[in-house]
Amino acid sequence: MSNFEKYQSIIKESFSYAGDVEELEYQAIAEWDSVGHMQLMAALEDAFSIELDVDDIIEFSSFKKGITILAKYNVVI
Amino acid sequence: MDTKLHFDINGIKDCQRNRHPLLFVDRIFDVIPGKTASGVKCFSYNEWFFPAHFDDEPNVPGFIQVESLVQTFIMSFLSKEELRGKKTNFLGINNVKFKRKIVPGETLTIHATLETFRRGIAIGSAVSFVGDEPACSADFVVAVPDVLDQFKPKVVA
Repeated sequence: MSNFEKYQSIIKESFSYAGDVEELEYQAIAEWDSVGHMQLMAALEDAFSIELDVDDIIEFSSFKKGITILAKYNVVI
Repeated sequence: MDTKLHFDINGIKDCQRNRHPLLFVDRIFDVIPGKTASGVKCFSYNEWFFPAHFDDEPNVPGFIQVESLVQTFIMSFLSKEELRGKKTNFLGINNVKFKRKIVPGETLTIHATLETFRRGIAIGSAVSFVGDEPACSADFVVAVPDVLDQFKPKVVA
């Protein structure tokens, strides 16, 4: 599984969401609320063995933005 | 070796925001902040719920047993200096099991374990006993909104 597929899969599982995750943004669906956001951050940290900085957690506001942020941790999506 | 903390009712009120008639733990002991907490709740017939649940067979309602467990559980992290006095919200309760009826005159002893505390979300569990007999157990997910809110993404209007 590529990192892109892994990233998609984590978001789908975190939010129990079957739609197109590539256009997904924070609060665009009920499941991506503040609690869902923390669950997503924890899932990404576990999956990619990284520890996200506070600023990056706050900036992580969409699927696309997440790709840029993960690149800072050498996770190439 | 971890130092264990103990809290009387005033100490408990310093750590958590629950108050009478919804503060159910009398004493908290053997607390290792960030790891574990144990608690005691003594049930006398003076409890407000016994005459109503039930007048001919008083016993502790399940929701009060669960609340007693979670009030012990939250002491495993609200005992940390930086979290004392913060409000908490339930996010999830799972695997609740009731093993035995609790009646006036009995004492519930609770042992709680914190598995993780990340960015304002605590995950863990608690088990309780009357004497040596298992009474109730549950897994919890609890939020500390003050902490959680610090990590919310910015929303552009």
